[in-house]
Amino acid sequence: MLSRSAERLYWLARYLERTENIARLVSVHMNLLMDLPKGVEMGWQQLIRINGSEQEFHEKYNAVNERNVTRFLLTDATYLGSLFSSLSAARENIRTSRELLPDEAWEQVNEMYLFAKDNLDTIVNRRSRVLFLNEILKGCQRFTGLLSGYMSHNHPYRFIRLGRNLERADMTSRILDLASLLLSESRSSEMRQYETILWINILKSLNALLMYRQTMRSRVQGDDVLNFLLLDTSLPRSVSCCLLEISDCINELPNHDGLPDKLVELEAYVQAIDTRQTTQLQLRGILDDLQNKLGGLHGQIAENWFLNTMAE
Amino acid sequence: MKSIWENYKTDTAYDELMHSEFQPRPVSHRLCQYLNSLKKGDIDKRKIAAELAIMEMGISFTVYSDEGNIDRAWPFDIIPRIIDAREWRIIEQGLKQRLTALNAFISDVYDEQAFIKEGKMPGDIINSSKNFRKECLGMKPRHNVWANICGTDLVRDKDGVMYVLEDNLRVPSGVSYMLENRVITKRVFPELLQDIDIFPIDDYPTHLQDMLSSIAPHPNGKPQIVVLTPGIYNSAYFEHAYLAQQMGAKLVEGGDLVVTDDDCVFMRTIEGLEKVDVIYRRIDDDFLDPEVFRKDSTLGVRGLMRAWKAGNVALANAPGAGVADDKVVYAYVPEMIRYYLNEEPILPNVPTYLCSNKEHLDYVMAHLAELVVKPANESGGYGMLVGPHASREEVEAFRQVILADPRNYIAQPTLSISTAPTLCDDRLEPRHIDLRPFILQGANTFVTAGGLTRVALKKGSLVVNSSQGGGSKDTWIINMEDN
Repeated sequence: MLSRSAERLYWLARYLERTENIARLVSVHMNLLMDLPKGVEMGWQQLIRINGSEQEFHEKYNAVNERNVTRFLLTDATYLGSLFSSLSAARENIRTSRELLPDEAWEQVNEMYLFAKDNLDTIVNRRSRVLFLNEILKGCQRFTGLLSGYMSHNHPYRFIRLGRNLERADMTSRILDLASLLLSESRSSEMRQYETILWINILKSLNALLMYRQTMRSRVQGDDVLNFLLLDTSLPRSVSCCLLEISDCINELPNHDGLPDKLVELEAYVQAIDTRQTTQLQLRGILDDLQNKLGGLHGQIAENWFLNTMAE
Repeated sequence: MKSIWENYKTDTAYDELMHSEFQPRPVSHRLCQYLNSLKKGDIDKRKIAAELAIMEMGISFTVYSDEGNIDRAWPFDIIPRIIDAREWRIIEQGLKQRLTALNAFISDVYDEQAFIKEGKMPGDIINSSKNFRKECLGMKPRHNVWANICGTDLVRDKDGVMYVLEDNLRVPSGVSYMLENRVITKRVFPELLQDIDIFPIDDYPTHLQDMLSSIAPHPNGKPQIVVLTPGIYNSAYFEHAYLAQQMGAKLVEGGDLVVTDDDCVFMRTIEGLEKVDVIYRRIDDDFLDPEVFRKDSTLGVRGLMRAWKAGNVALANAPGAGVADDKVVYAYVPEMIRYYLNEEPILPNVPTYLCSNKEHLDYVMAHLAELVVKPANESGGYGMLVGPHASREEVEAFRQVILADPRNYIAQPTLSISTAPTLCDDRLEPRHIDLRPFILQGANTFVTAGGLTRVALKKGSLVVNSSQGGGSKDTWIINMEDN
């Protein structure tokens, strides 16, 4: 497999995962706002915080309100982290890797892109925004299902899984980072009153509510949710599960050098986290550190397999 | 309700489907019957379905413009063009004959040049051809085939005869559109395709793969075949990716390949360097290897010519094959067929005046307003004069262009090229068409069943190139004997 192709498939998967994550995030957030009374400190600004793009947002928009934030996150083609930018980048990557994928894979992404492009204006309105996001979520799921059913589980497939799970682990850690704010000692009593709803929505944003109930068999509470999303090894979007998937792919790929050891290290690091024993401040530090480690992992993957750093 | 055939005129040129306004030719009888059974709204729905399929399948081509490159949807006319299989078998033989002679000629050019020595052609035509590569002298590609993939343009004149307009021997494109056109037609007219006995075309990638395998330097084992593309910004990128995918070959760019000191070609993979045996290159000679050709090329691979000359890698088409893709050389193809094959040409050439020849030039100058004048080495329909369609000023300006560089121009009578019914708004109108079949030659020779029919969508226009307002049609070769 060409190094160039490996890189493109990896990014294709990352961008599609990002597309799906943004869609789910916005959709869960809209749901949450309908449940909360006005004035609770859980507004639209939280969404731009997750992506770490407050600065860019404020350069482009004045008010942090529903209209501006959804436009910024969903359809702003000048913001590289938006849903539409991610989807466009995914399409560009698959367009240049068509020879490795079943026909339907390209058609699926292309259709989704054309749909998004034709419906960018509809997100202004809440009702049509819900439809828009559902369509995107379905499209991303179709793509994943299509590959798992139609494509040999070969090296190209492994690079797709690799990209998807790295992006996923990164997003989960960002959501947990935001969630850890909710544990802040200084949170208002009003906030405490609605805490359960907030945690439920965090679980929903990672499609984890049902699995939480089955696994934990207890009421939804902060520490348990954090532990579950970090440490559970069977929930697809938990950090540990993503790391297991990554390690699975890496072990099957040629020339993996020291990477498997690095992953064992990283898995152990995550498993050692116990949210019940840490203060909110410590937890934020740990999650920051985790995100850096994931960034480092990406760097090593690129160095190992992608074109730019290959030796002659 | 008005018929979609209302005011259909067949008097300006030979019409491929209609004998007269009301009388379909035998080959198109079933199609016309079927079209007449559709309601007016129906045909619109089919057209929209085709446009949607093209969008979703992402069939596109790139147009270069001042505002940057635009990726355009492939313009497709849903009404197919039909040829009787009995006629097609003759054309097929003619195309095989032609490419065999052309390859014998190219081999000769890079060897002893007997054709020239025996006075069949002036030597300075070769020496002044910008596609003659002296670096290729003495090379012997496998099977003595230089042009492995050829796209030959055919047009039918008013007399009903199919003429060869040109042979594209460098990097001919369009075959992916031919294949996709059939896919779309199957989606749009499923009931029709089931009824009619049409030759299938979707075995092309298999034949392409077989041909490429047959030219591999070491015939045993499974050769590593790659498609070399200039990249995403090339107008035919879609086709490069499509063919690689259909063959299960790797699509590579120059940067993916490296030539080692022992003159072997490798690609950079996740497992390290992997050897490459056959390169289906879609890059012009000029950009192929900065070590030999254009020094500023960033698209090619340094050392590729060394590897090819050492016999360690096969290139299709071989460098230098373009020497026969020259409109002056074209004029000599009938003579090549007689000389190398000892046969009479099956397919006629269009009469061609060479401006480098004094007598021909005098004729061209005297009849410029009636002729089509083309540069010898351009493709894409650029830089040509269509005398009858040009203003007096344009004709005079072109006269000076020719006189400045007569070797580079040829002239041909303006053919009244054939038409086919084409959907224009809500009814059918005749539009001019040509046909580009694709011929593969390696250990064996293969011709596509039909080819890519290109159509000039503008009324009266003769220019079928997609970059200049042309579209395309599905091409059906129909077996009439069983019907």
